[in-house]
Amino acid sequence: MNNRVLAYIVVAVGIAVFAILAATQGFAVTMGAFFTIGIFSFLYKDNPYYKFSEAVFVGISAGYWFVSLFWQNMVSKLYMGIQAAYNTTFVEHAGWDDRWMMLLGGLLGLFMLLRLFPKIGWLSRWSLAVIVGATAGLYFINYFVSNGIIQLGAIIAPLQSFTEAGKLDWWGTISQALLVAGTLSGVVYFYFSKEHTGAFGGVAKIGIWTLMLTFGASFGYTVMSRMSLLIGRMDYLVGTWLGLIR
Amino acid sequence: MTLIRRLYCILCLVSGVALLAASSPAQEADSVLIDTAGVEVTPAPAPPVNVGARDTPSDEGYSITVFWELSADDRPGEDFVTGYRILRAETPEGPFREVGFSSVGATSYTDASTEKKTDYYYRVETQADGASSSSPVIGPVQSTAQWFNFNLLNLLIIEGIICLAILYFIYSAKSGKKLFLRKIAGLEAVDEAIGRATEMGRPILFIPGIQDMDDVQTIAGITILGRIAKTIAQYDCRLHVPVSRSIVMTTARETVKEAYLSAGRPDAYSDDFVNYVTDEQFGYVAAVDGIMVREKPATCFYLGAFFAESLIMAETGHSIKAIQIAGTAMPAQLPFFVAACDYTLIGEELFAASAYLSNEPRQLGSLKGQDVGKVIAMVFILLPVIVLTLGAIFGWEFATRAGEFVRDWFRLIQM
Amino acid sequence: MNFWVRLMTIDRRIIFLFVVIAVTIPLFLNISQEIVVSTEVQTGFDAFSALQPGARVLVACDYDPPSSPELQPMAVATFRYCLDHDLKFIIIGLWPQGPQQANAAFETVLGYPISDTITYNGKTLIYGRDWVNLGFQAGNELVIQRMGSSIPAAFPRDYRGTPLEDLPLMQGVQNFNNIDFVMNISAGYPGVYEWVQFGVDRFGVRLVGGTTAVQAPLIYPYYGSGQLLGVLGGLKGAAEFEGLVGVSGKATQFMLSQSFAHVIVILFIIVGNVAYFVGGRKQKKT
Repeated sequence: MNNRVLAYIVVAVGIAVFAILAATQGFAVTMGAFFTIGIFSFLYKDNPYYKFSEAVFVGISAGYWFVSLFWQNMVSKLYMGIQAAYNTTFVEHAGWDDRWMMLLGGLLGLFMLLRLFPKIGWLSRWSLAVIVGATAGLYFINYFVSNGIIQLGAIIAPLQSFTEAGKLDWWGTISQALLVAGTLSGVVYFYFSKEHTGAFGGVAKIGIWTLMLTFGASFGYTVMSRMSLLIGRMDYLVGTWLGLIR
Repeated sequence: MTLIRRLYCILCLVSGVALLAASSPAQEADSVLIDTAGVEVTPAPAPPVNVGARDTPSDEGYSITVFWELSADDRPGEDFVTGYRILRAETPEGPFREVGFSSVGATSYTDASTEKKTDYYYRVETQADGASSSSPVIGPVQSTAQWFNFNLLNLLIIEGIICLAILYFIYSAKSGKKLFLRKIAGLEAVDEAIGRATEMGRPILFIPGIQDMDDVQTIAGITILGRIAKTIAQYDCRLHVPVSRSIVMTTARETVKEAYLSAGRPDAYSDDFVNYVTDEQFGYVAAVDGIMVREKPATCFYLGAFFAESLIMAETGHSIKAIQIAGTAMPAQLPFFVAACDYTLIGEELFAASAYLSNEPRQLGSLKGQDVGKVIAMVFILLPVIVLTLGAIFGWEFATRAGEFVRDWFRLIQM
Repeated sequence: MNFWVRLMTIDRRIIFLFVVIAVTIPLFLNISQEIVVSTEVQTGFDAFSALQPGARVLVACDYDPPSSPELQPMAVATFRYCLDHDLKFIIIGLWPQGPQQANAAFETVLGYPISDTITYNGKTLIYGRDWVNLGFQAGNELVIQRMGSSIPAAFPRDYRGTPLEDLPLMQGVQNFNNIDFVMNISAGYPGVYEWVQFGVDRFGVRLVGGTTAVQAPLIYPYYGSGQLLGVLGGLKGAAEFEGLVGVSGKATQFMLSQSFAHVIVILFIIVGNVAYFVGGRKQKKT
């Protein structure tokens, strides 16, 4: 029996199995399982089943995001915002409504689309400038305070720490010392104005080792996260779809 | 008994009764009164005293701070008083409505629901179980916006120093002074990686992250793309840049087009080099994986902001035996790039690489200015910690106070 | 090729198979695992449990279905606790599917589809009075910033389109000063990071963050500096939180699979490293 016939038989059996399960377990659940197994099949090797699942996933997600962003931004903010502002100003005669500013946002959004026209495409740079500049300004304070200043304040403490009974807390003292040493050496590693040679290079080396230890811990946490997602999928397949566990 | 002795006894009796009455404590907090209907009622607590209100300083003009001194019945260890109600009206006659509640022991409340240029009147009520007593009405007071937020003065000083340093170094770079940047491992491998792809006749895959152009990592990635695209144009190799955001697509296309132009190869450029896939994170990585497995690029660059898809891409790239050079400032994704890629630009090295390759004065100056910030951070960590440690070991009061002053100076920043 | 080199170059599909088996078999076993509660989860729960009945809890569900194995149990436990202790909750989402995930979690607690009037443990709860779902709002961290000055401006309507002034629970809710507690369950951006920067540090929000295990190491510095009241990190954090709430949910059930999977990963790391050092040395000798 040649490979092509075998492939046809496998596909036919697969479709039959899925059809039976769709009828018994529910069409939507079975579709979820169908695409889950399709994506998982990539772990064996690239194959048409995976390609089909990938194409459907990419297409649906692109369409979903388009629809979601259209209704959440274009309709909910721009259209309904302008409508509400119009009512306030011209129907209720209550004067200026801040939501008129949505027009400016809409105009900047329109400028982005002008990239399609080479002669006036330069207008899109204004929109980009607003996005990049506004984000930079927003983060200039908030990010610096939350991730820099407050963290600096939290590190500044004497190296030795004591228990409530007044005895030296060895673990707390070692922790604080490691925290200070790790932070300082890490900052030295990212200092670009001096070559990493001599004593400075030695401290930078401690810095990169500290970073690697952190990455290792982070890696371990991420392995946990990925396993959790796999557990969720297996629970879906054997529990929700096949009903083998409660 | 004689008359005098009788009078003396009566006098003693009266005095004793009077003394007893005088020495009995002021009505106990939990003593009970009986009203005319014979029902037990809780006596009213003493009202708060010296109640005042002022416009909250250093804000946008939507809050008023009400302050008072504790009620005489609000004593530590006693639970007679349950708290303070803050009531507000727009006229002194009312109607007053509650705008907030402060717990026992509190002496102020910030009413953050005011409108600008509106007169407000306040009164504060001490609350006990089923009873209350109010302060006199105070006001009018208005909330106004201030031009300057003095709570952030410390931040202004620190960021001012860093900004001045950045501006100084940008000016130095623009005036031709050579600014030193240490060597960054991984950058030297870029040309070698592109050469390898050219020899093998396989394309180069460049992923500028999955965030939009408002993310500084994406900007750094696109800057490096420009430099890489110029080399690719010179080597006549194929480039593929699948992106996850439409704005990134248009920016990347412009960057690559300019790179090909500056390399003298405008004819070789095609818009197909850069294509949009999808905004959805895992849809994007599924497509990128498919591209990797089918097109088998010889070199993969991952330079930008990544999330969970980083490991999937790096593993797939490793499985097709491509050279992988990654760079991101996302700490959670660095471990995967370090484990699976040949070279990794860690954190700020991505921005340093962008400055290094572009040799642009603003990027170079910014990097050098940030180094000044790092020196400030190192000094402000090391010195106070040493001072506080010595103060604790030797009992030096001045050292402890100095260290705590620096620590509190950082903690004072409240937005 | 010697044994050690073959072990080092083992087909990755064999490793995948071992991992799938390690993850799947425990799902069929009825063994419970002791979950030790960590400090950051305990302090977060303590802050949550200090709320008085009637307190307003903002539950920000910033995640989507791919992250639901880790985060959905946190949402379920949060809603269960709120219902058990008469806390009012307001659902919002900075991710489009967040509010839908929240509704799904709420339905898991109830055991039946949500309607405007529901019964839970003899209590009658009415939508708009006891809970509201304000839906998703685009804008990422700017939404949090907007909420700091005006929640009605950031969310003028709930997810059905009902104006906020028609919802009794939202009467008098102007900004974060009128919210007693925020529970943020997030899978990435925008998430706990942004809530700390824009909610806690700017507006003094009392916040506990529930995140995926990937994000948890990045969030711990915020806990150490006191910006966060507690951290629920990944599936383990969710299982600990479930235990404190007093329920044995999906997270607790999945922990056995998690443990098995970790053991397999550790074994392969050890085997791989032994093969690398022993095999490499033998290779050099030959």
